[in-house]
Amino acid sequence: MTNSTEVLVIGGGSTGCGIARDLAMRGVDVTLVERGNLTHGTTGRMHGLLHSGGRYAVADQESAAECIDENRVLRRIASHTIEMTGGLFAQLPGDSDEYFEEKLAGCRECGIPAEVLTGEEAREIEPYLTRDVERAIRVPDGAIDPFRLCVANAADTERHGGRIETHAEVIDVLVEGDRVVGVEVRHESGPGKRSHREPGTTERIEADHVVNATGAWAGQLGAMAGVEVEVRPSKGVMTVMNSRQVDTVVNRCRPKDDADIVVPHETACILGTTDVEVEDPDDYPEEQWEVDLMIEKLSELVPMLAEARTLRSFWGVRPLYEPPDTGTTDPTDITRQFFLLDHAERDGLDDMTSIVGGKLTTYRLMAEQISDHVCEKLGVEARCRTAEEPLPGSEDFSVLRDYMEEFGLRSPVGRRSTERLGSRADDVLKTDDPNPVVCTCEAVTRAELEDAIEDAGTDLNATRIRTRASMGNCQGGFCAHRMAALLHPAHDEATTRTALDELYRERWKGQRHALWGEQLSQAMLNHALHATTMNRDRDPAAREDAIEYDRFDAGPTEAQVGAATDGGCDEREQSSESGDPNGGDERGD
Amino acid sequence: MAIEDDVCVVGGGLAGMTSAIRAARKGARVRLVSHKKSTLRHASGLVDVLGYTPDGELVAEPFDALSALPEGHPYRRVGTDAVRAGLDLFDQVAGDAYRGNHTDTNALVPTHGGTVKPTARYPQSVAAGLASRSEETLFVGFETLTAFDAPLAADHLAAAGVPSRTRGVTVDFPGEFRADSRVTRFARALDENETIETTDGPTTARRALAAAVEPHLDGAGRVGFPAILGEDEPSAVRTALETRLGVEAFEVPMGPPSLPGLRLEELFDAALDEWGVRRTTGNPVVDFEADGGRIRAVYVDRNGQRTPFHADQFVLATGGLVGKGIDSDRTGVVEPVFDCHVPHPGDRYEWFADEAFGDHPFARFGVAVDDDLRPLDAGGGVEYGNLRAAGGVLGGADFAAEKSGSGISLATGHAAGRAAGEAV
Amino acid sequence: MGQRDLAGDRPRCGSCGGRGGVIDGLPTMSDADSTDEFEPVQVFETTDMDLRPGSDDCYKCSTCDTSCPVAEVDDEFPGPKFQGPEQWRLKRKEGHAVDDSITGCSNCMRCDDACPSSVPLSQMHNTARGEYVESQRFGRETLAALRRGKPREALEIVDEGRQGLVERVRNRILANYRTSAWFASKMPRLANRAMNFGPARWLMEKTLGVTSEREFPAFAEQTFREWWAERGGAHVENPEQRVAYFHGCYSNFNTTEVGKAMVRVYEAFGYEVLVPPQQCSGTPMFANGMLDDARRHAETNVANLAAAIDGGADVIASCTSCSMALRQEYPELFDLDGIESVAAHTYEALEYLRLHEDLEGALAEADVDAGEFAYHAPCHARNQGLDRQAIELFADLDGATVEDVGDSCSGISGTYGWKEEKYDYSMAIGEEMFEHMDAADGETGMTECPTCAMQMEHGTGYEIRHPLELLEEALV
Repeated sequence: MTNSTEVLVIGGGSTGCGIARDLAMRGVDVTLVERGNLTHGTTGRMHGLLHSGGRYAVADQESAAECIDENRVLRRIASHTIEMTGGLFAQLPGDSDEYFEEKLAGCRECGIPAEVLTGEEAREIEPYLTRDVERAIRVPDGAIDPFRLCVANAADTERHGGRIETHAEVIDVLVEGDRVVGVEVRHESGPGKRSHREPGTTERIEADHVVNATGAWAGQLGAMAGVEVEVRPSKGVMTVMNSRQVDTVVNRCRPKDDADIVVPHETACILGTTDVEVEDPDDYPEEQWEVDLMIEKLSELVPMLAEARTLRSFWGVRPLYEPPDTGTTDPTDITRQFFLLDHAERDGLDDMTSIVGGKLTTYRLMAEQISDHVCEKLGVEARCRTAEEPLPGSEDFSVLRDYMEEFGLRSPVGRRSTERLGSRADDVLKTDDPNPVVCTCEAVTRAELEDAIEDAGTDLNATRIRTRASMGNCQGGFCAHRMAALLHPAHDEATTRTALDELYRERWKGQRHALWGEQLSQAMLNHALHATTMNRDRDPAAREDAIEYDRFDAGPTEAQVGAATDGGCDEREQSSESGDPNGGDERGD
Repeated sequence: MAIEDDVCVVGGGLAGMTSAIRAARKGARVRLVSHKKSTLRHASGLVDVLGYTPDGELVAEPFDALSALPEGHPYRRVGTDAVRAGLDLFDQVAGDAYRGNHTDTNALVPTHGGTVKPTARYPQSVAAGLASRSEETLFVGFETLTAFDAPLAADHLAAAGVPSRTRGVTVDFPGEFRADSRVTRFARALDENETIETTDGPTTARRALAAAVEPHLDGAGRVGFPAILGEDEPSAVRTALETRLGVEAFEVPMGPPSLPGLRLEELFDAALDEWGVRRTTGNPVVDFEADGGRIRAVYVDRNGQRTPFHADQFVLATGGLVGKGIDSDRTGVVEPVFDCHVPHPGDRYEWFADEAFGDHPFARFGVAVDDDLRPLDAGGGVEYGNLRAAGGVLGGADFAAEKSGSGISLATGHAAGRAAGEAV
Repeated sequence: MGQRDLAGDRPRCGSCGGRGGVIDGLPTMSDADSTDEFEPVQVFETTDMDLRPGSDDCYKCSTCDTSCPVAEVDDEFPGPKFQGPEQWRLKRKEGHAVDDSITGCSNCMRCDDACPSSVPLSQMHNTARGEYVESQRFGRETLAALRRGKPREALEIVDEGRQGLVERVRNRILANYRTSAWFASKMPRLANRAMNFGPARWLMEKTLGVTSEREFPAFAEQTFREWWAERGGAHVENPEQRVAYFHGCYSNFNTTEVGKAMVRVYEAFGYEVLVPPQQCSGTPMFANGMLDDARRHAETNVANLAAAIDGGADVIASCTSCSMALRQEYPELFDLDGIESVAAHTYEALEYLRLHEDLEGALAEADVDAGEFAYHAPCHARNQGLDRQAIELFADLDGATVEDVGDSCSGISGTYGWKEEKYDYSMAIGEEMFEHMDAADGETGMTECPTCAMQMEHGTGYEIRHPLELLEEALV
């Protein structure tokens, strides 16, 4: 199968989705391919911080200034994916005064609103901060949901005529002479929405221009085209807490270090992070010390974290890039700026551009610059409109309306749903059918899940990232099977079962890093429910050997019922009436 | 003046109640001290003995398979006779509310996940649903009860090769219930046969439910419902549905919350009263007093007050990780009441298998015991001469994979209660 | 601004609905003893607890839901799992209103007793209810809406608030039983007649939503405290064995015989009984989200009881909801000096004797001519681990049989069953207990809780006794 497009974007993270939307809005025919789900790479594996720029205000002021500008833009165009929590840089005993002043001055130089709070004022905002906190700088940090951000960008791309293909891995970059002419992709289950158990196909997609937006994988992708892209993948751990110990982004005010930030995110808090360079972004150790480090160091900042329940941990790989010959040894010193690599100029390879480095907060700016570059090459003159036009879900968004009454939902359920759906809430939640909550941890109703499934096909992990269903404290133990049931009867039983198994496995994977205390109890309860009560671990439908049903009890005959019942009752009555302490003796005595 | 008894059982689940009843039947003055409601309400209400070997082979004759279990398994500690004795006690307590005691062979019960599960005893309300029967089956689910999707379960059972034809249908539970009504609300409506409003005017809950199902029968020989058919009057509710529908009705056991589990708890509650077991509920045992290798008393806490309960013999039946009889933190696994040794790998990353349904070491966490069920310390010595352990707190068995939870509780509860009663 | 404080209104008999003007010519307050002064009533409360981390313990098993008597009968009530850990986990510190279904909770606290994972359910419910009541402060929200330049929204808030106001006043009056009772006790005969006067009750139901199905309890001719003063206080002095009696409102104003029995039994065992100044335990206020009122009363109680404890006494309560409040709700909800000490030194009256005396031995030797009792364990007794105590204690007493009528909830839960809109639920919940009482041999009821007693009497017509009364008959 061969198809063609003007621009082919590789990578369904924030950058790729942003580029696809930008180009599509300019009228360019664009196709995006992603090997997994949207956000499968680094975007889905970050702590969800919408930078004010404060974190870079001392060491990397250029990035800091970009951050505050884009922070303001995103609050305008992506309001339904953002919670403006505010952020604090907290100074603890021993943290240098000098650095505190540098941070404050840096923020002001970069145009980041910054306000100094006393320790007491900081604790008034965040009562669970350590009593030791001396003072803090307040900045406009926020929390952003990278999943909803990407999904909204992708949806808008499609609305503007673009094509989004997930579960479509690039297996070759097609080079003819000194120009790139397209790629070959392998679809996991054919083009379009993913459907489990459907056989895969390959597709050749020809393009006038190819954009490599694969982040930490840009080196591997570049290699397929025969060029060298010097990404320095660096892993970082993030640990998800069960509840929000803080409602403000809390940073430790000292030079950037491991385990120095807590980000409130939806119902949870995310602790981050480490910075360790890795060889292969797909294969690196996930280690216990990293999790322990998060809890131990961050409980200096928020003491209750030491005893609080963690749900899971995950690792992300930063797509750090360093121009050749810079020679930085410590990954924490590598710049967080982004770079546009024009392979024509750089390597003499026409019609391909790579984008590397950068961070989620500046994804739109990166997309704008690369789209400008691509449009120039293609001779397209339309200008960028992504800084003005809100994303789907963020138009006229107002949470002031009383959705709860309207949709018959309990108030926290209504609120959470409308916060997730933004301006789409009306369309999604208005239903004449009963609308039970399917995921009670995250308050996700059936209507919202059905809406997500329309988009995600049988991929329940894609439904999960759209809705947060199964991301709460039971980690899918009580809802994964309910979510899967929504696929039936549109999809057959076997497909539904496979989809469920995949979701359950994915949820298990991250939980393994949190298996002690409450989460270990939860894991055992989930295990008991799924293995004992539902017998999913020994599911006869999934086993080769057929059960010989006639070898098993089919119930007592009439005679047996009478005998068994009478016998039991008699024995009990006799022994209680006789008052004999040894009455009712039985085998084993 | 302290409270003093012959036997003090700590923990009010199936194992604790079984050992209390057993010890009381020996004539001992028995006290059962329990903290919260037991995990019976989590469980299906089925009484499994052994459904799978450790290798994952389906077991039809559980008593024949017990001797092949590994050495540290609780069944090996107490022996096959104790397993039978525990089941005998169960049969007496459950009376005609349960079936399965006419045979040693396992029954296969349809689960709400659409599979079948091997079990030794099943509630009478489940009996008509056994998978080995061949009548065509209609499964009925309810719109707002998302844990049981009847059409999916029916298809799944067909894929599992059951010998009967299976169909599923989803209906609205008749009446004006909110989408988040609890299973206890539906059960009550059926128990009380409440008057409910339908489009055709007021009617009664049982009648309306039968009417909602009737058009879908289409020749089915039995009808399966999620296990919400009454809490106090399950038999009357089922009979009413059967009479109206003209076919047998049964329940498909559900995960937490479980009405069959709740009913089973009530059966045991009544038996505890019948045998004069004294009960103290609602407060945790937080400490104990021992001398010369014997426990003298346990202390129950209430907001800083500590009440001692003295006894001659003690039984530890506080459950496993779910029942909180076994606790853990990042550094290790403990038994919090008597601090009995719990064998476990030092590295927390060795507590689990990588696969979701892998062979998880954590599923086998619990205390190790000698043949008299006395917990052993790290050196293999007996922790306390008058302390025995029973049920989920015992290590050495993955009850979830084996389908052996209730059987272990009954067998070890019985053995511990008997031994404690005899030692008085 | 925004606080419509009704304290300025001249208080009238609350229980009978002052608005009806049933009782007039109230006595002056000058003759009240120091703790019997009238408490001005504020309609609005505040609370600032953050219990979100409490949701860490929940593993979703729903055992709480299966133990909730309200979720079983009330279609609008989603059960404790939602009200507790789920709602709290979904909350934000600000701007997230508590679902109004929280008012459906009767505060029986059976969920606390159920949760295998020790989620602080009743604390979450109490606190959420406090927040909900707080969020109904329409004045403050109106102002905020006006500041945002949204006059229409402000109007809506005012309108909604008005609708809720009557209910809040009603809850306020029910919760402040002590205030009403204090007035009534000044003219008990008139109060008893007037409060159950048909037309007045009709008016109360229509204007305040207090059900006319129930009879108000009779007020004693002489309060317990008046009796205590008249008898000259304690008859036994014993610095070694001293207890401070928390009689609560009910034993003081209504069932004074329970208080008197407590004194006589304890004195028979050689204890010195102190009766410190005290206010309402706060139980009805917790149940109605009036945490500020409750806190004020708690301050008095904790100060006086802590002083008695310092003087070598333990605290004894004859009402299980009162002991529950002192032991559990106080430390969960308030941060007061001495509160932990009060919690750790408070006992229910039988419990204390049982721990310190050979009560069973004494009862085994005694005999009475008391007959058969149908005993109901109050939910709040269950939460203290006392639900089987009376049955166990009286098992060997000759001449009395005490039969347990099962572990269901009586359904009245203090003020819950008095609300017109909850009355039917209350009776539906109580049905199981009525049936079991009916099936029991005894024709007399027994329970520790005064409101359970009301419900038992209301549902069966039985006379209801307190275990202390039987204890007195047996041992004094």
